[in-house]
This record gives sequence, C-alpha cells and structure tokens, in this order.
Amino acid sequence: MINKKNHSASFRDPSGYIFIDQGVVKRRINPIYFDQYKALKEKELFKKLFSASWLVKHKEVFSDDSQIIIEPEHIPFVTYPYEWSFGQFKEAALLTLKIQKFCLDNDMSLKDASAFNVTFFKGKAIFIDTLSFDFYQDNEPWRAFKQFVSHFLGPLLLARYHGASVLNSLINYIDGVPVKILSSMLPSKTKLNPFVYSNVHLLAKYEDEYKADYKGKTKKSTLSKKAQLNIIKTLYDFIKKIELKEQSEWGDYYNKINYSKSAFEQKSKIINQWIRDLKIKTLIDIGGNDGTFVRRIDTDLEQALICDIDNNAVGHNYKILKDNGETYITPFVLDMLNPSPAIGFNNKERDSFLERIKGFKPDITLALAVIHHMTLSGNIPFVMSAEFFASFSNCLIIEFPKRKDSWVERLLNAKREFKEHFNFYNIESFEEAYIESFDIVEKQEIKDSERVMYLLKNKNA
Amino acid sequence: MQFLYFDPGLGAMIAQAVVAAVAGVLMFSKNIVYKIKVLLGLAKKNDIYDDIDISDSDLENESKSDK
Repeated sequence: MINKKNHSASFRDPSGYIFIDQGVVKRRINPIYFDQYKALKEKELFKKLFSASWLVKHKEVFSDDSQIIIEPEHIPFVTYPYEWSFGQFKEAALLTLKIQKFCLDNDMSLKDASAFNVTFFKGKAIFIDTLSFDFYQDNEPWRAFKQFVSHFLGPLLLARYHGASVLNSLINYIDGVPVKILSSMLPSKTKLNPFVYSNVHLLAKYEDEYKADYKGKTKKSTLSKKAQLNIIKTLYDFIKKIELKEQSEWGDYYNKINYSKSAFEQKSKIINQWIRDLKIKTLIDIGGNDGTFVRRIDTDLEQALICDIDNNAVGHNYKILKDNGETYITPFVLDMLNPSPAIGFNNKERDSFLERIKGFKPDITLALAVIHHMTLSGNIPFVMSAEFFASFSNCLIIEFPKRKDSWVERLLNAKREFKEHFNFYNIESFEEAYIESFDIVEKQEIKDSERVMYLLKNKNA
Repeated sequence: MQFLYFDPGLGAMIAQAVVAAVAGVLMFSKNIVYKIKVLLGLAKKNDIYDDIDISDSDLENESKSDK
C-alpha cells in the first residue's frame, strides 16, 4: 500500500494521520504508535470505549510492519468547539475527563486534551482522536492538564461570568485560551475560590515563572496516580455543577412571535407536506431556534442540522434532544451573517461552515423567518442571500414576511431616516432576485398572517 | 516509549502538585458535607450528566453514558 497524503488537519501528532481514500476517511497509524495501539486493542479498551459510545468506532482495514490503517465510522457533519452551546461544551469537557479517568484505571493516559478531539454524533459528545491514548508513566503528572484548562475549564468559566457567547470567540484560539489571558479575564473574586485559584490563577503564575527555563534546569516533577485522580475528580465535579449566570432569552420565543396558533399550525403543516412529498432524509434549518419546526416534521429524518445565532437557543435545543433521547438532530451555533471561517495552518485545519455544509449536501434547507433579519438587520441584498442558499441547497423552504408583518415593521422603523432605502423589501423584488438561482416549485400564503411560504428548487441542482 | 508533540508547560507540571493538594482537601470536605446532607435527607442527584465513577459493566450499557 502506498503512502497516502495526510488530510490538511492531521499533522500535529507523529503517531499517525487521517487521509481520505476515495471519499472515505481513514487513519494511518505509524510504527511509533504500534505498542499503544496494540495494547488498547488487546486489553479490549477500544471495545469498552466503543460500547460506551465514548470513542468513535473504527475497524482495522490493513496492517503490516510499516503501517496500520483503520477506518472510523463516518460522522456526517462535524461541529467545532466554537459552534457549541454551553451545555454541549460541558458535556465535551466531562467526556474528556471520564476518558482520562478510564485511562488511568487501565494504566493509560490521554496525551492531549484538545476540545477538537471531541464532536457531536447521534445526540452525544464523542471522542474522535483514536491516537490520543498513551501509556501511563508512574508518578507522572497529567501532561494534558494545561491543555484541558485552556480548552475546557477556562472557556466554561469565562462563559459562566461573561455569557455563553464567549464560547464562540474561541475561534481565535485553536490551541485553547492561554492561561494568562484566562486568569486576567476572570473576575478577581474567583481568586478566593480555592478550586479556581489553583486550577487557573496559580497555574498561570507557575507557567509565567517557569517559561524562561529553556535549559531544563528545573527538576522533573512527580505526582502520584491517586493525586492525579483527585485532580480529575474535582475538575469533573466542578464542571458538572457549573451553570450560566445569565437569563436565557429563548424561553418565551414562541410566545413572543407575532402570529396566531392557527398560522403556526398551518406553517408546520405546509413544511411537513413538502418534506413528505420530496422524501427528505437530511436537512439543515438555518436560524432554527430550539428546533420546534424540525421536531414537528412527521416523517423519519436521518440527519437534521439545526443552527442558530443564539447560544442559549441552541442550548435549549440540545436539552430537549437529551430529554427526548433524539439521535438524528445536531444543534450548533452559527451566525449566518458571519459563518465559521476556515482556520489553522494554511487555513485548512478546520473547515469553514460552507465547506462542511457543501460536503454534507442536505436534501433541503429551511430558512424560516430569517430573510427579514438577513435583509433588514444584515443589509444583505436578496440576490446575495439567494446565492448563499443556492451554494449548498438543492431545495429551499423559505418563509417571507411581508412589509406589514409586525417584525418587519419593527426592523424597518429601526432604520429611521434610512427607512426608504429599504423600499426594495417587498415580495416582488424577493421573487425577482430568487428566481435567478431557484425555480419556484410552490408558493403558499399562511392565512391569518403576513407571511408567505416558498418551496424553491436550485436551478443548478 | 512516550513521546510528546506539544509542550505540556513546565509550570503546569509543577503546579499540579498544588492543584492536587487543593483537590484532596476539597474532596475531603465535600465528602463530610455530603454525609451530613445524607443524614439530614438533603442530598439530591444531578440528572443529565453521569458521575465520573463508572464501572465496567456500566460502560457496556450505552444508556448510562450521558443518555
């Protein structure tokens, strides 16, 4: 077997790398990692991690003296830490700690604790870096401790004090928030909390103190396994209890909306009818809030992505998903006026939202009650929003609120003396712009409201 | 053999001794508080997230792990 070129996101760890073989994601393991891999396999640790759904399943597809190739289960859409709600972030942190505890119990240890090792699949956080496991060395401190603080504990604490939207700013820190910044951003009162003081402030102080020791003069530190387990357990208990300070706004969203119950029911009925007629299996709901309309779809979906700009709405969606035990929904945070860009080395380590959604190829896109926000809050011309949707959707269900809709009126009034610049916001200009990219398959007015539903088909699909 | 592809931070390695000492004290005191709560019937269980202490048999039962 010839050596394949590694995937652009997989180069940091010399143990192996990911590559794409005819569209299938595979992982090559280098001889340097054979001992660890074989130990995990022989001690049935992989098996246990799989059955708990903690680690993405894989099968071995090739093995010789120079390489082992494994094929992990396909995850249709990968979300990144800066797209998670607070609750998802918490779950990913707890999963990492559970795995480290499991490792220590089996004389292994996680050699890294990056938040990018985790994603969401089938309604749960799942660890996706199969090569993160190493042998535990007696009395050695946890090498990934600082990374855990930078990637998980720190961001969760920041969200606790500054609101969940802080989590979306992690896009600037592919290697986690530096501990020094964490320490300076947390309120001074957190220094009085022995847990936060030792795990963040003191850590930052020590890091600062020892950073100049290039020659390695300081002697190697030791830590018993029992002591490391105490660290892991207190981290776990602390993170499990951490809650957001802010009041969330999603709560009465559907009570605040401006249409009647019958209009709401009708809208849901129209969506269901179209989804059924087209035999839709995969979809993305842009601006889907807590997923209300997707949950009302009465046909079986394989995968539904629901994104919203509001971290709390996504958090609420995730909580409903947990309560119902749903496995087909993946909620995530996305600002459609500024979708996640590609980041990292060569801008290729983490794919942009557009890149990932084009790969996912949803059967249909739902854009319910978002066009007025895009056009009137974001000033996005109709032609441009049409191009945006057309870039990844075969079909599009879009809801157009007319000028008399109370939300639209509110947004227009907020423009004050520039209000007339938005005279183009009307159903004729909307249709005119959208038919450049789409064909109108169906159009239905929602009775008892100022809204119109469209089913559009991409001209290039 | 163990190898490393990122800097764990020397300070972070040393700081863990203190972090662990604080953790030990916290666990000890929480344990006492918990025992008192149990005695008074005030202890309650968290719903969504598991406990970190999971046995092998629990591991084989998928439903145990964070739903």
